[in-house]
Amino acid sequence: MAWPETIIRVLKSYRIEFINYLPDAMGERLLKLAREDSDFDLLPLAREEEGVGTVCGQMLGGRRGVLLMPTSGLGNSLNAIASLAIPYKIPLPMIIGFRGGLGEFNGSQVMMGQAMPDIFRAMRIPYFILKREDEVETVTEGFLRLTFSNEGPAALLISTQLAGWKE
Amino acid sequence: MINMLEATKILVARLSDDDLVVGGLGNPKFNLFQAKDRPRNLYLWNAMGMASSVGLGLAMARPENRVVVLQGDGSLLMNLGSLATEAWRAPRNLIHICWDNRMYELTGKQPTASAGTADLARIAEGAGFEKVARAETLPAFEASLERALAEDGPWFIHALVDDQRAAREYPPKSPTFIKHRFMSDLGAEI
Ligand SMILES: Cc1ncc(C[n+]2csc(CCOP(=O)(O)OP(=O)(O)O)c2C)c(N)n1
Repeated sequence: MAWPETIIRVLKSYRIEFINYLPDAMGERLLKLAREDSDFDLLPLAREEEGVGTVCGQMLGGRRGVLLMPTSGLGNSLNAIASLAIPYKIPLPMIIGFRGGLGEFNGSQVMMGQAMPDIFRAMRIPYFILKREDEVETVTEGFLRLTFSNEGPAALLISTQLAGWKE
Repeated sequence: MINMLEATKILVARLSDDDLVVGGLGNPKFNLFQAKDRPRNLYLWNAMGMASSVGLGLAMARPENRVVVLQGDGSLLMNLGSLATEAWRAPRNLIHICWDNRMYELTGKQPTASAGTADLARIAEGAGFEKVARAETLPAFEASLERALAEDGPWFIHALVDDQRAAREYPPKSPTFIKHRFMSDLGAEI
């Protein structure tokens, strides 16, 4: 099974219903599958920060969502993560296409990509990087397990090693 | 002009215990607490702009509950995109109220863009809200509220309010207390 199928299957097994998203090319691999699957309900956002709010609202209402976004979207979301998901202790699973790293062609992506791990460390946000097909299932499952037990934000990064880089 | 506290009291008196209310940062949250503290009030400390997005998420997760968002004009201006997202998704159970005092009252009454050229009701219409009400007086607010409670939404109610500051009786301060009280009253578990 290819990585997008595996991630989608694990999301289902964790009763994730809402996919709150701002697209990027990596995320589209997941969105394509989710659109054809009646177990998922997609919410397109105008800015990723909104997605922090909508996932938190869904969780407070007792139903599960994820925030799917590119690396740049993390920058657009930081204050909401810091002042909503973290202090209110609300699970916020973020799936992020890792841009600005290995193989990046666009110089304007690099700063955010290089800063991202330090931002996660500074905010004590657990993060995991998917690099190989054979670890996708375990890492995705472990990421969700931790997000719900920790009741806070956590990130699953899809690397270019796994998904390929943009030409 | 409308007084935010008086209007909030009228609103809360008309709600059922099942209804969910999101009180955004600034005076909306303080006035909500003063009008009536109830377990299904979700007070947002900080997270400026997020009230409308949290309300949308709640409305999606709980289609059987009415969700009322109370948000200041400054906070709405920070998250204008949420109007487009709400209108496109169009949850029937959502009522978004903007208390427009045309200023960032809490930080010293500096003017917002709605003191200048921005018309938030027209922006909501432009975002795709089909049900938009404007109220400049308390009776007009009550009339809009009656309609919003009777007819399917999503509703956007734009209320022009005075510059009075809410008496600063603080709502519960602990975010996790607010969350647990809200969720356990709803019977929600994640
Ligand atoms: C991201 C962010 N920027 C600025 C502030 C500072 N701040 C706190 S309250 C406030 C005013 C909010 O205005 P509004 O939502 O219109 O409510 P009002 O104070 O007028 O009731 C501001 C600017 C903040 N808390 N967060």
